[in-house]
Amino acid sequence: MSSDSSEKIIDRSAKWVFSFFISSAGLWLLVAALFAYLAAAKLTDPFFLSSCELLTYGKIKVAQANAFVYGWGGNAIFAVSIWILARLAQAEVRGPIILVFAGVIWNLAITFGILGILDGHMSGHEMLEMPTEVWPAMLISYLLITLLTLVIHRSRIIKETIAPQWFILAALLWFPALFLIAWNGMEINPARGTLQTVLSMWYGQSLIWLWLTPVALGAAYYLIPAILGRTIDKYYLAIFGFWCIAALAPWSVVHHLEGGPVPMWIPAIGTVMSIAMVFPIAVASTNFHATAFLDIGKVWDSLPLRFVIFGTLSYTVSSYIGVVFSLPAVAKITQFTIINEFHFNQRVYGFFSMIIFGAVYFALPRITGREIPKIAKSFHFWTSTFGVLLLLMAYLIGGLTHGVLAGQPSLPWSSSVIQSVQPYFIITKFAFVILAFSQIVFVFNVWRVIFPNPLLWLLACKKEVEA
Amino acid sequence: MNNLAKFISGIFITLGLAWLAFVVGARSQYGDLSPTASSLDEDGNIPVDSDLHPIALSGIAQQGAEEYAALGCVTCHTQQVRREDTGFDVERGWGNRPSVPRDYVLQKQVLLGNSRIGPDLANLGSRGHSDEWFHQHLFEPQTIVPSSLCPPSPFLYQQIENASSSDITISSEDGLDSRIIRPSIRAKRLVAYLSSLKQDYELPEVSFIEKEESDAEEEVVQTESEDMSSTTPKWLEDQISKGKEVYMKAATGGGMCFTCHQINGEGLAGQFPPLANSDWVLGDKSRLIKISMYGLMGEIEVNGVKYNNVMAPPGIPPGSLTDEQIANVLTYIRNEWGNSASAISPEEVASVRASLKGRAPMQMFTSAELSSPVQ
Repeated sequence: MSSDSSEKIIDRSAKWVFSFFISSAGLWLLVAALFAYLAAAKLTDPFFLSSCELLTYGKIKVAQANAFVYGWGGNAIFAVSIWILARLAQAEVRGPIILVFAGVIWNLAITFGILGILDGHMSGHEMLEMPTEVWPAMLISYLLITLLTLVIHRSRIIKETIAPQWFILAALLWFPALFLIAWNGMEINPARGTLQTVLSMWYGQSLIWLWLTPVALGAAYYLIPAILGRTIDKYYLAIFGFWCIAALAPWSVVHHLEGGPVPMWIPAIGTVMSIAMVFPIAVASTNFHATAFLDIGKVWDSLPLRFVIFGTLSYTVSSYIGVVFSLPAVAKITQFTIINEFHFNQRVYGFFSMIIFGAVYFALPRITGREIPKIAKSFHFWTSTFGVLLLLMAYLIGGLTHGVLAGQPSLPWSSSVIQSVQPYFIITKFAFVILAFSQIVFVFNVWRVIFPNPLLWLLACKKEVEA
Repeated sequence: MNNLAKFISGIFITLGLAWLAFVVGARSQYGDLSPTASSLDEDGNIPVDSDLHPIALSGIAQQGAEEYAALGCVTCHTQQVRREDTGFDVERGWGNRPSVPRDYVLQKQVLLGNSRIGPDLANLGSRGHSDEWFHQHLFEPQTIVPSSLCPPSPFLYQQIENASSSDITISSEDGLDSRIIRPSIRAKRLVAYLSSLKQDYELPEVSFIEKEESDAEEEVVQTESEDMSSTTPKWLEDQISKGKEVYMKAATGGGMCFTCHQINGEGLAGQFPPLANSDWVLGDKSRLIKISMYGLMGEIEVNGVKYNNVMAPPGIPPGSLTDEQIANVLTYIRNEWGNSASAISPEEVASVRASLKGRAPMQMFTSAELSSPVQ
């Protein structure tokens, strides 16, 4: 590890970029929270805002997922990746103005994309619902940011790379590959019939597994030893875990097509590979938890680490649950139910976002030199924890109810099956209110540190530009 | 791991392998499926003059598909009937058979969906709903299904005071309150699309599944499960199963009987008489054979209930059933749904046909003519 002073120089070089990306990520988090609340409210009362065509349930739900994954997820990935890679490379962040410029393009593209969805230009491909017009802008701005991140990594002092670098680099590079494959297969050279569905399912699920997941895992591999001041226990397993994810995850994601109008080998191979995923899951959780539990008191005392360990525990649990739910006998019950919501929220909220929160709380004070009050972080942690657990329990139990009742053909659909699930929708609405509260606190915490005094900040900008 | 170029090649190879399978491999496996006939001849060719399935959407229905996608209906509705071993979809009455890849080859945008807060829609168009039903459901689903969570779409309709012929009146349950709505062009497109959703044909790779359990919902019907295997001789079983094919087939060479008499043989009250436990079916054979050749019109009485309708000569095209097909389908209806009566042989059909020599084709029988002893 480098000396303090060089770390400070690196942190200072990342200041603009990190602040920009994380403050925009925060805004997207609030947008997603608003959509999540509206969608949940519409499921409990279908007449809620029903005369407003822009806010149809189907659109809001999709807009929420896109705002969450590309808006919050994308910006958070840029911020955390750039900072961690710069620190590990012991190299300064280059081209902050280009990075921020590309970030503005990315955010504008998503803004227009989501407005496009609400205005009825949804494309209908899973996780690529934003109208095709914004895809080029997304891809170009993404490639610019990734290129500059690779430049940081290339200028590293120590040639030897470690786990956080593998995971983060792989995620950064997988995304454009997936995006191009999906773009080609759906718009440029569109496939016929259900080939489209196979591709969009593969893309949508891979986005979670090959983009959000590795960045969060990489951040955990970096933060746990950095905060605890000890090396990762059984670190030699990490390389095995990494290549297992790289080799298995792209195959495992298609098991959701079980029983559908696609060749049987596609879901079958997905199921087999999902079961094989127990290996990388076991590796990651051994690495994280064996290390953390050596010094559990310290984990509890450090709020950033508490967020990270919540995330890694959530990763372990959710991934094992995912393996069980991919077994055909279980999938027969849970397929097409609100268990899908459980998986999505568990992964992007319970795992990815919690680790990002931890990373931000660890990085921001070092980058800006200003501390966030412990009580504010603590409030954020407890509301998030409670909200997430409540949300996930509602989706899990509600999803099982949904599946078991749907499997009894004598029960009428709306008046019996969905009616029995509706109480859980009310719980999710409540949980989304708590989470929205918690996210407002997070954004407040972040913004207060980045812009303690908006006027001074503007002056500083001016000075920086002049310099 | 330390060499960036090697690392990047490694992670792209692992991703590329999955891409090869799911994109390139799947495309070469079934990327060139095209519409085909319900059954192929011995050489695997499409028989001449047969109907091809699936059929392309009409222009207005295609526009409706775009509305469907834009409104995000796919968030809550799937359009796929799963195989029997992987789900309850057929039992629930969402289709007569599992969906297969060929069903989707003509769709510009495939909206399979993966969440079912609402029911599956793969066969929505074959559930017999009227356009008014669809419009009313889109305008305010709760007027039809009170517990529905489906959001109303009042923005697709204009509420007006005085109805003209194309407008739809929605009355509340107590009948005190009624609203008149006029569908916009977008609503009409959506309805055209929704009523075109049908997978009600057989393909060489998939045939209808015989249902054994009932469904309380919708108009989906029920066949009694029968244990025929132990007591029925093989030739009779053959004849019954061939007869069932004729009964169920709604394409050239089929009988299309189920469309009126229903899969459960119960008919529709007031419109189509039942076949299950019917004195006409279980009674005189020659009367039954004559109807199967020439059809029937006018008032008849079945099990004490009067019906007045027209039954065109069965078959596609009308009157085209062969002696063997008639023998099989009649044997089938005489031994299904709890019915039990003697089989009818092709020879018996042939002799009835001979006795009617000289009768103009397509000249339907009446009840009176059939019951008169002089023939």
